[in-house]
Amino acid sequence: MELEEMKMLWGEMSAAIEKQKKSTDTLIIKMTQVNYRHRISKIAVPEKISAVVCAAIIIFIIVNFQKLGTWYLQLFAVLTVVILGALSFLSLRAIHKMSSINISANNYKQTLAEYSKGRLQFMFVQKLSFYLTAILLVVSLPVMVQLIAEKNPFKVTRLWMFYAVAFPFFTIFARWVYKYYSKTTRQIEGLLKDLEE
Amino acid sequence: MHSKQEFVSVIQENEGLIYKVTKVYTNSKEDEQDLHQEIVYQLWKSFGSFRNDAKITTWMYRIALNTAITHLNKEKRRSNHVPMNESLLNKTDTGDNLKEEQLEILYAQIKRLNPVEKAIVLLYLEGKTYEEIAVITGFTATNVGTRLGRIKQKIITQIN
Repeated sequence: MELEEMKMLWGEMSAAIEKQKKSTDTLIIKMTQVNYRHRISKIAVPEKISAVVCAAIIIFIIVNFQKLGTWYLQLFAVLTVVILGALSFLSLRAIHKMSSINISANNYKQTLAEYSKGRLQFMFVQKLSFYLTAILLVVSLPVMVQLIAEKNPFKVTRLWMFYAVAFPFFTIFARWVYKYYSKTTRQIEGLLKDLEE
Repeated sequence: MHSKQEFVSVIQENEGLIYKVTKVYTNSKEDEQDLHQEIVYQLWKSFGSFRNDAKITTWMYRIALNTAITHLNKEKRRSNHVPMNESLLNKTDTGDNLKEEQLEILYAQIKRLNPVEKAIVLLYLEGKTYEEIAVITGFTATNVGTRLGRIKQKIITQIN
């Protein structure tokens, strides 16, 4: 169907729509109430919960820091705190950027550009989070074994078995994550380039 | 200051506009319902700042299209939307199978375009002039013309 044919059919459809039943006053008023929430805010809920959990773990490690007797466990603890803090901060910032777009003041081009940039940033954070989480697993487990079980982590055989089993799975998943994000990022970058023309 | 009753009348008078935007930007009835309500909600939020010097439909298209972009297409949540009557979501059910089939093809062709092209073609089909499209989208009128030319070519390629 060519554009002119499309226009003709669209006109017929528009005329038919005008004759159809309209929404009632009550239904429209219900829609204006805060009963319905923006989708981004729904994505933000698990991110906010994660941030609270991260903050609790950070506090737990800081409070019990003196129980870590060796320099390498202390180093792992510092790395755990830094990674947890960075993950929460970056993720919340990216979501805030996407949700703070001014829908009523912007035109379509501005909204599309801001939203695409926000998505790019969010995807970068997600990709980064994936790799940081892998490092986090390696560095946080010995710290937690020491603090919670109060055992020397390097004498816990199950800990080493966990690393051995998790490593191949992580490698396969990491490749998939890289491919997925690269493809989507290219599409968004293409769109941004198109907007600049 | 605009009243709620005034807003309800504006929505009722221009419901077709919301219907067409949601149809173009979604792929399922559930998403359609979600987006429809989000557009109404965003329109209500901005209604107080609407100045009568602009055309009401220009303002509505801008909000509706902006909302459609920021409305993520899939997953995550099942929102607590207001239940809508099926007939309000099936405004083009005419009983004419051939016509409905043609409309399905028409929507499918538009959905294959990227978000920039989708908005321009939607406004063009709505009978907007290049200048009006330019005001809503933020591109210049000349750029709108150039892009429409490219879209025509793209649609021809899609057919072939």
